[in-house]
Amino acid sequence: MKQPVGHYAYESRDREFLQERIAEFEDQVKRRLSGALSEEEFKPLRLMNGIYLQVHAYMLRVAIPYGILDSRQLRKLAHVARRYDRGYGHFTTRQNIQFNWISLEDAPAILRDLAEADMHAIQTSGNCIRNITSDEYAGAARDELMDPRVHAEILRQWSTLHPEFTFLPRKFKIAISGSPEDRVAARFHDIGLLARPSENGPLFRVFVGGGLGRTPVVGQELFDSVPEAELLATLEATLRVYNAYGRRDNLYRARIKILVQTIGIEPFREAVKAELAKMDLSHYRLTPERVAAIRARFAAPELHAVDDADAVLAQHQKEDPAFARWMQSNTHPHFDEGYSIATVSLKTPGDIPGDVTAEQMDGLADIAERFAFSELRVTHLQNIVLGHVRKDQLYALWQGLKELNLAAPNIGLAGDIVSCPGLDYCTLANARSLPLARKLGARFGDARLQEEIGALSINISGCINACGHHHAGHIGILGVDKRGSEFYQILLGGQAGDRASIGAILGPALSEDDAVAAIARMIDHYLAHRNEQESFLEMVTRLGKAPFKEVAYETV
Amino acid sequence: MKRLSHLSPNECVLLTAARLLDGRIVWRGRDGQWFDHVAQAACLTAEESEAALEEASTQAARQGVMGVYPVVARKGEPPQPVSMKEHIRAFGPTVHPEFSYVPQSEASS
Ligand code: SF4
Repeated sequence: MKQPVGHYAYESRDREFLQERIAEFEDQVKRRLSGALSEEEFKPLRLMNGIYLQVHAYMLRVAIPYGILDSRQLRKLAHVARRYDRGYGHFTTRQNIQFNWISLEDAPAILRDLAEADMHAIQTSGNCIRNITSDEYAGAARDELMDPRVHAEILRQWSTLHPEFTFLPRKFKIAISGSPEDRVAARFHDIGLLARPSENGPLFRVFVGGGLGRTPVVGQELFDSVPEAELLATLEATLRVYNAYGRRDNLYRARIKILVQTIGIEPFREAVKAELAKMDLSHYRLTPERVAAIRARFAAPELHAVDDADAVLAQHQKEDPAFARWMQSNTHPHFDEGYSIATVSLKTPGDIPGDVTAEQMDGLADIAERFAFSELRVTHLQNIVLGHVRKDQLYALWQGLKELNLAAPNIGLAGDIVSCPGLDYCTLANARSLPLARKLGARFGDARLQEEIGALSINISGCINACGHHHAGHIGILGVDKRGSEFYQILLGGQAGDRASIGAILGPALSEDDAVAAIARMIDHYLAHRNEQESFLEMVTRLGKAPFKEVAYETV
Repeated sequence: MKRLSHLSPNECVLLTAARLLDGRIVWRGRDGQWFDHVAQAACLTAEESEAALEEASTQAARQGVMGVYPVVARKGEPPQPVSMKEHIRAFGPTVHPEFSYVPQSEASS
C-alpha cells in the first residue's frame, strides 16, 4: 500500500498488536454476555476499548490520532455508521469520532473492521494519556514554523500502552502545534506543546496545567525551549511528578492543573527537574535518526501548482458570489502560492454540529481523493480540513461540498458553533446542548448576517465537564439543572490561542428561549455600537461585560 | 431525582434499566418482564416500587439487564417521566425524531 499523506503508515507489528487486542476484548465481551463477568468487572475493560454506556445505547469512541484521516479510513467509518449504528457519526472536540448506537455484541466485529483501516479505540477513555491532538493546518499553513505531526506521532507511540501511565490520577490530554497562532488551544491542555525550528533542531515550548471543566485554568509555561532530544524525557518526568503527587482521593481535584495550582509552577518545575536529574536520559533521547525513521513513514503531498491558478480562481469568484463568500470564510493561506487550505463546515444551519452521515463521509472521502491527496483533518472545532487543494480546483471542490450539503460559509463565524452532545446522548449532562446549538445556528444561519457580525465563537456544553469548551468561547453557554429543569448560563469573553482567557459568567441562568434571545440582543448591541473594524471580542475587552449584561437581561 | 416520598397523586414510579446486550433502555412491566416501550412499564406506588426494585435488582443479571433504578413519572398512556433526562430515555433524543421510541404525538409531556 502507498504511504498515506499526513499520517504514519502502520507496520505489520502495529496490525498484529491490534488483532491481539481485539481477540482479547472479544473474549472479555463473551464472558460479559455469558454472565461470567459482572458489569463492575467489565466496565474498566470496555472503557479501555473506547466503549461507554450512554443514554440510549453503548457508545464507541474511535481515536483519530492528531486528527488525520485518509479517505480509506473515512469510508471505513461510513461503513461502521451504516452497518452498526444509525447511519451517522459525531466528530468531537478532541478530534475523535463517536458512534452513539452501538450494540455490545457487535463491538469486536466493529473493532476488527476498523483495524482493517488501521484504526482503533484504545485510550479514548480512562485515566491514561488520551489522543494527541494537533493543528488542523499542520504541514500546510503559511504561518507554520514546523509540521508538528511527526512529533505528534512520536508522542502517540510513546504514550500508547505506556505501562507507567495507564492508571494516572485522571485522564491526560496533550496537544501540539507548530504555529505561533496556537490553533490547538495549547494553554487549555494538561500539556500543550508549541514546536519551532532552530539552528540546532526543533525546540518545544511546554505549557502545563491548563484545562477547562469544573476548574478552568490557563496553562503556565513550564519550559521555554526543550530541545528535541529531551522532549520525551521532559514529558516522562512531568507525568511522573503528576503520577506521584496528583490527588487520587477526589475526582474533582485529580487533574494536573490542580496539582500545579496547589504547589505553584516554580516548585512543580523544580520537581520535574529533580525527576529529570534522576533519569537515565540516554534511554529517552530522541535522536535525529529516530525522528527521521518516523518521518519516513509519512508521505508528503506532491504539489504541482498550475500557472494560472490565481486567475482561474478569481474568475470563479467573480462569477459566483456564493463561492466567493465561502472562499472568504472557509479557506486559509497555504505555504504554496498555488494551493489553499479548505475547511469543510460541519455546521450546516439547523443541523447538529459535528454530525456527519455515512453518505456525507463517503462523499467527503471521494472529494479528498479527488482534490486533497486523500487526506482529511478533523478539527477540535468539529469541522474537517482539506490541507492541500489546488486553487484552480477550489470551485469544483465547493460544488461537490454543496451536493453533500456541507458548503456552509461560516468558519470562525456565528454559525460555526461548537457543541457537546448534551442530555440527548450523554449520561453526565444537566441539560441539552444540541437543540440550543440548532436554534442559534438557524438564527444566525444567514450568510450575509454572519459576514456582517464577523469573527465570533459560540461554544456550548451540557454540563460543567465542558466538552463543548464553553469557557473558551467568545460566547459560552453552560447547561445547568435547576430542580429538574434545563437552564443555560451565558459566559462572555473566553478565547483559546496565545491570548487564552476564560469567559466570565454574565448573570443568572436563563431558559433555552431566553438564552437565544439574550445572545441575539448582545450581538445586536455589538453591531450597533462597535467601533470600525472592531471584532465582538475586542469590544468585550474594551467595554467589559456590563453593557452586554444589561442588554442580555433587559426583558427577563 | 424527585424523591419518591414526595409523589403527587397523579404521579407513579417506573423501574428502568439498560439491556446488557445493546445498552438499550428497558422498562419493567407488571409481570416482572422488561420491555422496550415505556407504555408497557408498570406504574407503581412508592411502596410497591421499593419491593419491586429489590426484586428486579436481584434478578437483573439473569434477565440480561443492568443498573436498575426508579423513575418518577406522571400517570398516563404512556406514563410521562417528569425529568427531562428520563423523558429523553423514554421517548428518544429530541434532536433526532426519526429515532423516537414512540409516535411523536405520545411523546409530548
Ligand atoms: S460537557 Fe457534560 S454533557 Fe457535554 S459531553 Fe461532556 S460530560 Fe456530556
